[in-house]
Amino acid sequence: MPNANAVKVLLVDDQNSVRQMARITLEEIGFRQISEAENGVQAMHTASLQPIDLIISDYNMPEMDGLALLRAVRSHPVVRKVPFILLTGRGDRELVVKAAEAGVNNYLVKPFTAAVLREKIEQVMGKLS
Amino acid sequence: MAGLDQLKITFFDECDEAMQQIEAGLTDIRAGQGSDDTINSVFRAVHSVKGGAGIFGFESLVGFAHVLETVLDGLRAGRLVATDDNVGVLLQASDVLSDLVSMSRSNKPIESGYGSECRVALELIIKQEGGGASEGAGDDSSAPADFDGFDFKPVQVNFDEPAANAKRSYSITFRPKPAMLKKANEPLYILRELRKLGELDLVAQTDLLAPLAELEPDHPYIWWIGTLQTEATRAQIDEVFEFVASDSDLEISEIVPDSSSPAAIEMADPFVPATSELEIASPSIVPEAAAEKPAADAATRAPPAKHAATTTRIELERIDRVVNMVGELVISQAMLGQIVQDLPEGTSGRLAQILEEVIHHTRELKDSVMSMRAQPVGSVFQRMPRLVRELATKTHKKVRLEMVGETTEVDRSIIERLGDPLTHIIRNSVDHGIESPADRIAAGKNEEGVIRLSAEHRGGRIIIEVKDDGAGINAERVLRKAKEKGLVRPDANLTDDEVANLIMLPGFSTAETVSDISGRGVGMDVVRSNIQDIGGRISLKSVPGRGMTIQLALPLTLAVMDGMVIKVGDQTYVMPLSAIVECLRPARSDVSNLIGTRGMLHLRGEFVPLVLLSELLDVGTEAKDAGERVVIITDAGEGTHFGLIVDELCGHQQVVIKSIEESYGAVPGIAAATILGNGRVAFILDVEKLSDIAVSSALNDGMPTTRSATAMVA
Repeated sequence: MPNANAVKVLLVDDQNSVRQMARITLEEIGFRQISEAENGVQAMHTASLQPIDLIISDYNMPEMDGLALLRAVRSHPVVRKVPFILLTGRGDRELVVKAAEAGVNNYLVKPFTAAVLREKIEQVMGKLS
Repeated sequence: MAGLDQLKITFFDECDEAMQQIEAGLTDIRAGQGSDDTINSVFRAVHSVKGGAGIFGFESLVGFAHVLETVLDGLRAGRLVATDDNVGVLLQASDVLSDLVSMSRSNKPIESGYGSECRVALELIIKQEGGGASEGAGDDSSAPADFDGFDFKPVQVNFDEPAANAKRSYSITFRPKPAMLKKANEPLYILRELRKLGELDLVAQTDLLAPLAELEPDHPYIWWIGTLQTEATRAQIDEVFEFVASDSDLEISEIVPDSSSPAAIEMADPFVPATSELEIASPSIVPEAAAEKPAADAATRAPPAKHAATTTRIELERIDRVVNMVGELVISQAMLGQIVQDLPEGTSGRLAQILEEVIHHTRELKDSVMSMRAQPVGSVFQRMPRLVRELATKTHKKVRLEMVGETTEVDRSIIERLGDPLTHIIRNSVDHGIESPADRIAAGKNEEGVIRLSAEHRGGRIIIEVKDDGAGINAERVLRKAKEKGLVRPDANLTDDEVANLIMLPGFSTAETVSDISGRGVGMDVVRSNIQDIGGRISLKSVPGRGMTIQLALPLTLAVMDGMVIKVGDQTYVMPLSAIVECLRPARSDVSNLIGTRGMLHLRGEFVPLVLLSELLDVGTEAKDAGERVVIITDAGEGTHFGLIVDELCGHQQVVIKSIEESYGAVPGIAAATILGNGRVAFILDVEKLSDIAVSSALNDGMPTTRSATAMVA
C-alpha cells in the first residue's frame, strides 16, 4: 500500500497554469514529492536523473507529446516500468486507444477533481495511505 | 503556493502566446507556407486554450475552442482540405477566439450567441468530412468524462514482483553509409546506446579502411558484426537505430535457442495483454492507427527543437530594478573614472587597470540585462494580420500581409511604443496605398495587393519596414497641397522622395475623402513624432504607381546609450554615437562661404551644410573660426548629412538616459538628460530635431529658439 507522501510524481504539461492546478490537486490528495516538466523531452531528462514512481502527463505538448513520451518511457531500460497516467481531453477516444496500445496504465480526462484523480491513481498503484 | 487568481493570470498569459501562434500559423497556411508542423502547432495552441479554459471554468471559451479544434484536427489528419475559404473561416474563428479570451479575462459576461455565425461556418466545414469520421463534431462538452462502452482496463502495477524477462540473443551487422556521417550521426553513440540494452559483443571490421593518404574524414570505413544479449524487445533495438536505419545497412536477427518457448517471449512484455484486449474492443480504429505517423517519426521531429532552452518568468518590475541599478552603476563608474583621470601622473596605474576591468564588466552586465528585457517584435507584428484582414474587408480590397523577421529582438519599452505608429502606417497602406482590385488590374498588377512588414538589426538599430505595392504617393498632388498650405515655398524644387516626406509635416493630410479607417486629423506627423520620441527615425520612399516604403530606424534600448560628450561654450552635451558619421577638424580651405554663421564644408567632393551648434542652442561662445573648431558630421536621416560645429570633443562615454519630459517638458533639440562622471547634468541632443530646426531656420532665415534648454542647466 503506497504512502502518498512517499510517492515521487513527475507531472508533465506544457501549460504552466494547468500544471500548477494539477499540482494543487495532487497536494490535496497528499502527494508531497512532485517534480514538473514542460514536455516529453524534459520529462525524460528528469526521469533519467532522479527516481520517479509515477508519471502523470498531458498529451498535447510541443517537442514530444504525451504519447511519444509514453513510448519513450516504455522503451527506456530504466524507467520502462514506471506507471504512466495520460491526461486527455473529452472525446479523445482514439488517443486513449493508442495510449493503451503503447502501454499506458490509466487515463484521466481534463478537467478533473481531486477525487477522480485519486481514484485513477489508486486504480494503478493500489489504495493510497 | 500561487492562488487561483494568480493561476488565471498565468493562463491568460499562455492564451496570449497561443493566440499569436494560432494567428501566425494560419497566416502561413493561407500564404501556402504551412507544413504539417504548422497545422499541428495551431492545433496544439487551440487545444491548450481549450484545456486551460476547461480547468478554470470558461465554458463558452471551451465550447468554441472545441469546434475550432475539431476542424483543425480534420485538417491535420487530412480529412479536410485547407481551401482558401476554409482558412478564411479559421482566421475569423481565431479572431472570435481571441475576443472570447479577452472577454473571459476581463470577466465580462459573454453573450450566449457570441461568434455563433463563425461557429456555424466551422460546423459547415466539419460536415465536409467524408461520412462517419465526423463523430467528434459539434460541441461535445456534454460528453461524459469517461467513455461509455469503451473497455479500458487500468493496468495495475505490482511493485513487489519484478517482471520475469527472458534474455534473448541477436546477431547484428551494422554498416554505416556515407550519408549517415554527413547527417552528423555518430556511430559510436549508437553503439553506446546499444550497449545500454544488454551485453554487447561487437567486432569492428576494418577491411574497407583506405590508406591514410586517401582517407576521407567524412567517409565511414569501419563496420561492425556482433551479438547482443538483452532483455529488451526487438522494437527497442530497432529504436536505437531508428535515426540511421535508412542511412546504413543493418541486419538484426534473433538467435533462437531451441529451448525458447512462445510463452517465454510473451512474458517478456507485461503490457502486451492489455494491448490485444483493446484492439479487440475497438476494431474500427485500426485504419486510424495505421494512418497515424509512427512514434519514430514524432521523435525524429523532436531534435530540431525550437525552444530547447529552459525559461523562467520574471516580473518586469524586477528586471527594471536591475536595469535602473545598472544605470546607476554606469554613472558611479563614470565618476570613478573621472577621479582616476584627475590623479597625479603615475599614481593611478593599478587603479586604472582595475577600473578598466570594471568598465568591461559593467558593459557586459548592461548587455545581459538589456537582452533580458528584449522581446521579439513579433508581439507587435502579430496584431497586424487581423488589422489588415478587417481593413481589406471594409474597403473591399484584396490585401496580403507578408511578415519577415518577427523574431528580431528589441527592448520592450520600444515594443510598447511601436504598436500605435505601426498600426497607423499599415492602416494608411491599406486605405490609401493599395488600390481597389479593379484599379490594380487596370494598372496591370495582380488584383491582390501585398504589404510586406519586415524587421532586422542593422548597425546597432532595429530597422522596421512597411512596403506596399500600391499606388505610391501622388507627388504632384502632395506638392500642390503643401504649397497651398504654405509648408514649402511656391518656387521650391523638390525630388520625389522629398515630396513624399512632406506628408509627415504637421498639418498635412492628403486623403481626398476622409475615411473612417485612417481617420481625420491624426496623420503621419503624429507617427513621426511618436517615432522620434523614442529616438527613432522615419523615412519614406515612394515610386508613383509602384508603391511606397516606410522605414523606421529605432534604437535597441531606451535606457543606456553610447554617447559622445561635446562642449559648446561653457555647456556640455552628449550626442548619440549612432547619429555621428564622423568627426573632423576641417582645413580652412575646405570651408567655404562662412559668412555669419552658416557655411558649407567641402568633404570628399560633397558639400555638407554647416551649422553652429552654439547658435542652434543659443549658447554663448567665444567667436572662433570654424577651422579651429571640430565639425561633427551627423546623419540627419534619409541619407542626408550636415555638419555641426562644436568647440571640443571630450570623449566617448556610455550614458544613462534620464527623461526630462516627465519632469520638465519637451524641449526641441534635446532628447533627454544624463549624469556625467563629474556628477553634472548634461543634455542629450536630438540630432534629427536639430536638423529640422536648422532647416526651418534656413527656410525662414530666422533664429531658432531653444533657450529653455540652457536656462535649465545654468
